[in-house]
Amino acid sequence: MVNRKLVKFLSFRYIILASILIVLAGGLVLLPKYEKHEGISPENLLANAISPERYISTDELADRIINQDPSLLLVDVRDENSFKKYTLPGAVNIPLEQVLEEDSEPYMDQNSYDVVLFSNDNFHADQAWILCSRLGFENLHVLKGGLNQWFNTIINPKEPSENMASNEFEKYNFRKAASMYFGVAYPEKVVRKPVVKKYVLEKPKTTAPKKVVPVKKKKKMPVEGGC
Amino acid sequence: MGPLIPNGIISFEWSSIIAIVIGIFFGFILEASGFSSSRKLAGVFYGYDFAVLKVFFTAAIVSLIGLLYMDYLGYVDMSSLYVHPTYLWGAIIGGVIMGIGFVAGGFCPGTSLSAVAIGKIDAIANVIGIMVGIFIFSELYTFFEPIYNGYFQGNITLVDSLGINPYWFVFVLTVFAVIMFAVSDMIRKRVKKVFY
Repeated sequence: MVNRKLVKFLSFRYIILASILIVLAGGLVLLPKYEKHEGISPENLLANAISPERYISTDELADRIINQDPSLLLVDVRDENSFKKYTLPGAVNIPLEQVLEEDSEPYMDQNSYDVVLFSNDNFHADQAWILCSRLGFENLHVLKGGLNQWFNTIINPKEPSENMASNEFEKYNFRKAASMYFGVAYPEKVVRKPVVKKYVLEKPKTTAPKKVVPVKKKKKMPVEGGC
Repeated sequence: MGPLIPNGIISFEWSSIIAIVIGIFFGFILEASGFSSSRKLAGVFYGYDFAVLKVFFTAAIVSLIGLLYMDYLGYVDMSSLYVHPTYLWGAIIGGVIMGIGFVAGGFCPGTSLSAVAIGKIDAIANVIGIMVGIFIFSELYTFFEPIYNGYFQGNITLVDSLGINPYWFVFVLTVFAVIMFAVSDMIRKRVKKVFY
């Protein structure tokens, strides 16, 4: 009796198997769809976000620009007008809203350059960093403090007071030298040197240091006149 | 989790060992289900046995549905699976030659080896023929190369090139396959029974 029932059931085995396949395939169609997570996993993104490598300091950036590091690629994520007014030397302008567009992909999604993103603060640059890092783009960095910090440290470094540690003075000297590289003229530098030259020059009337003269010639004239 | 080897859950060195183990089981199942008989294989073309068609279509559909479910549930990342590159005309011409060889010899490359294992003389002749074909191809490679390496389409899939929803595609394919199985069964019943 049991055996006959089983035989009867098994005579439908192909129909049963076929209907299982169709039900499973139909289930795929009916499954609720959800947006697939693109790019790296949230854990990896978080690990990258809290990694100290994410930020690059203004000092380090200045050092690399001055040494003409060929692996450096500066990306200005501010709008075009701000970019035209002022930017870092050699920077490329990719406004924040165009960061993920096709034209900017060769700049962002590559592994031959260290890309440094910057904006006025690091706020917009951070947003661009998150957008791109989430897609798995590598070698992206953010300029810590952005252009404001750049101005405060490199272009217009604060002179340390006398009771500060010696490394503060070293840092100041570096920043001052860097700012001169980026075209800042220091009044005390401009004035003092000719004054020193003048004393040297006065004793031996015709001396060698002519190499320096052509650079400072214009400033020299009024000093001589004052004399 | 994803594919086990690319994601480093199983180290890369194991891949050959796993391939050998799967190959042994594959050969065993081919032989156990009678696929080492050239009459059974050629039956597809003469209409008295559709086991080959059913087996390979069922395998394709089961793996498709299984992969899509696992992808949906996040166990396998479909985008990191290997997709065989498409060389259009090479595939078409090769497919035609392979089909003619299949009808004439009664074996496909895999089943011919499993038939050699049980000592079938026609399978041995078939494998020697395959070797001769490989030899001729290698000797004339420079002549065949433009077709062999040309018409490259990239690692495309049917879903990409047709631009359709994969789930609907699988559903339609499954329904189509089931209809095909039913039709092939009806044909088999009408054709005169062949004993082999």
